[in-house]
Amino acid sequence: MKRRTFLKNTGLASAALWAPSFLNHLPGQTNGKILIVIQLSGGNDGLNTIVPYRNDKYYELRPDIAISDSEVLRVTDELGFNPSLSDLQSLYDEGWVSIVNNVGYPNPNRSHFRSMDIWQTASDSREYLTSGWLGRYLDSQCNGCESPHYALELGQGLSLALKGEQRLGFAMNDLRQMERTNKNPLLSYLGQQDTPDHEHEEVAYLYKTLLDTQSSTKYLLEQTGGRRSRANFPATPFGRDLRQVVELILAGNTSKVYYVSLGGFDTHANQKGPQGRLLSIYAEGVKALAEELNKHNLWQDTLVMTFSEFGRRVAQNGSRGTDHGAASNLYLLGGNLRQAGFYNNGPDLTNLDKGDLKYQVDFRNVYANVLDSWLGASSTSILNKHFDDLGII
Amino acid sequence: MSDRIKHLYQRAGFGASPEEWEQLKRQGFLGALEQLFTQAHAAPPLTVASFEDLAEATMEDRRKAGRMLTQSYTLEWLDRMADPTESALLERLTLFWHDHFACRSILGHLAIQQLNTLREYALGSFRDLCLAVAKDPSMIRYLNNQQNKKNSPNENFARELLELFTIGRGNYTEQDIKEAARAFTGWGSNYKGIYRFRARAHDYGQKTFFGQSGRFNGEDIIRIILDQRESAEFLVRKFWDYYVSAPADEGLIQELTSVYYESDYHTETLLRYLFAADWFYDQRFRGGQIKSPIVLLIGLRKTLGLQFGKPAAQARLLRALGQTPFDPPNVAGWPGGRHWIDNATLMLRLNIGAGLLSKRELDLRFRDQPELEILSDPSTRKLEAVVNLQSLLPMMTGTDLVADFGTLSDYLLPGPSRIDMTSLVGLVDNTEGEERLRRMLLVLFSLPEFQTC
Repeated sequence: MKRRTFLKNTGLASAALWAPSFLNHLPGQTNGKILIVIQLSGGNDGLNTIVPYRNDKYYELRPDIAISDSEVLRVTDELGFNPSLSDLQSLYDEGWVSIVNNVGYPNPNRSHFRSMDIWQTASDSREYLTSGWLGRYLDSQCNGCESPHYALELGQGLSLALKGEQRLGFAMNDLRQMERTNKNPLLSYLGQQDTPDHEHEEVAYLYKTLLDTQSSTKYLLEQTGGRRSRANFPATPFGRDLRQVVELILAGNTSKVYYVSLGGFDTHANQKGPQGRLLSIYAEGVKALAEELNKHNLWQDTLVMTFSEFGRRVAQNGSRGTDHGAASNLYLLGGNLRQAGFYNNGPDLTNLDKGDLKYQVDFRNVYANVLDSWLGASSTSILNKHFDDLGII
Repeated sequence: MSDRIKHLYQRAGFGASPEEWEQLKRQGFLGALEQLFTQAHAAPPLTVASFEDLAEATMEDRRKAGRMLTQSYTLEWLDRMADPTESALLERLTLFWHDHFACRSILGHLAIQQLNTLREYALGSFRDLCLAVAKDPSMIRYLNNQQNKKNSPNENFARELLELFTIGRGNYTEQDIKEAARAFTGWGSNYKGIYRFRARAHDYGQKTFFGQSGRFNGEDIIRIILDQRESAEFLVRKFWDYYVSAPADEGLIQELTSVYYESDYHTETLLRYLFAADWFYDQRFRGGQIKSPIVLLIGLRKTLGLQFGKPAAQARLLRALGQTPFDPPNVAGWPGGRHWIDNATLMLRLNIGAGLLSKRELDLRFRDQPELEILSDPSTRKLEAVVNLQSLLPMMTGTDLVADFGTLSDYLLPGPSRIDMTSLVGLVDNTEGEERLRRMLLVLFSLPEFQTC
């Protein structure tokens, strides 16, 4: 058919004329491991999440917002879970949870945006990188990651974490809207145009991104048409995102890295109620995820890493809330952890830095562990320097 | 010649409305070039709000009010960029400085003050601009110079001054940073956002900086840094990326560096030289710039005469596309170029035109982001605007499709397109007048080529 009359004849149909290069051959063998990153945005108060319920200093500095030792879900002689985390506790009891205390980085930054960038790019506090740590993992030529949806973010935009220098992850928003966009005949048509000689390489780059997007969208729409999970995910956007992740995994989707966020943790005022609600949404969600994947024998191939850009000030503020702090705790969940339980002791509340917890473990040590032991990559080149492996994964 | 005018106005400004385009072509290239500078010199300063205008009692409420004010200044700025009676050159250059001296200003009265400073010195001497920014309350707060005191120096501002604002890495030592930080001790601002030199916090001692010794203060430090030719070259590379947007041509970089250095950092001299140079209009430098979200938005506003139902939806759109004024990703500014593009931003970009022209809903929803409560106003989730095609219609023959496509592409695209327009004849069959124009525009706005200039 001549292009001249293409649109006239096919009207609004015709999506599948283009043949995405990566679908023509099967993706390379991956090690089958799946990484799910959960970002708690706004700065989760780690001290009221993993509670040092035997620590007098904790109760002294937080007279109104501390979790009392009668409320706390005790785990060790020193530390317990926030009462909203009973679902996480049951995963903990299965040996599926590892908690790293006092995670942070030198010269902590207390701006949400800057600190989030530091976590997402794995930079030093004084270093400004324009690519993310998972994006650089994509750049490292991992098996199968030539397709953008290899690293999939659920949400409206693509986080810096998933942007490499050469390769990008894929942001998946509302599926119906993506489907509409993908059926746009004009954009489908544009995706197939040959490259003329005069063209600028930036234009060629845009066309390539368009084609890749259309291919990945088509593939993901096919994948999501498949399995439905009946697991009991919370009826919130976060719950729906986790359900989507599980359904994609069950459908045999070739994505290996998933990125999901839960926001609202910036609790400057009256924090107890709101933080508790968010933590229970989180715990309910990851419990449903773990159980569903375990039922299908996929939990041992799954690692869930949960972080927040910073913890909060140890002392409460004047409005029964907490202000931006520094080091905090981080959670690793999975059916195949080398070291479950608490990796290290809780924070020392008598040795603070301007009222904030001091970090003991650099978050990049955790990343190194994830990259080397789980994703089979070289953390030293991705993180631009060597960080010791924690040995948890 | 009209090709030159188009390139000039795309790069030095935000493109041209249909009326401006016709008028500029009549004026000719030299007249169009001169008009850019005439308008810039005629631009009045901004009205700057003071701290007293924020009446809210609690700090939290004042912060919120400050953020709302920042957003309203953003919207006013966008209006100025799109207004043909304002100076596009000055606004685009101010955007350059805002990116260069990247600073997050959540308090509106400080944001507008900084913007006014950038505008005031934009075309003048970089020496004056740099000094004014060093005394700018927003910058003082952002880079912790407020905490920079004799007995406990804070190096943040001094470090970024050297690394990002003036000379760049490889031209100074860690010791230079320490000495520079000492020179800026005591440069602070009071709670109202007014610059204050706190003599008691200032270190009056001897400093050694760039091999020179003396009882230097901040002013001396800036003078010494800018005496180095390397600083002029560093700045020229940033101008190059912004205005030429191509891999560096080292010969031309050196040529521009000489112009800038020998004019003692007179920015207008540099820009006049650049825009008058024949090579600026070379084919190799055209169409290679991926429009920033702001340039894209303002171009659409100019072309379509957009009137937004909820102007704040623009701020939401810009955030979705990755460029929120007064909120750069970090002190290094927006990385730009291909960094603007991922699957989500590209599809949104390619659909904006269709969204505006066909009332198709543009989804601008966000996940909760801390401190961005402005964005949670649900009425700004849809980008709705009234489109005015009246000024484009006279450009059309209405009968000769190939000619009309040609006219529109010539006006909207930087160069030849990947597609042969005549192959899309089916899209406009059986239409006429405004509807026909609307469909042709829909095609052009969907082209990846439209994302470049």
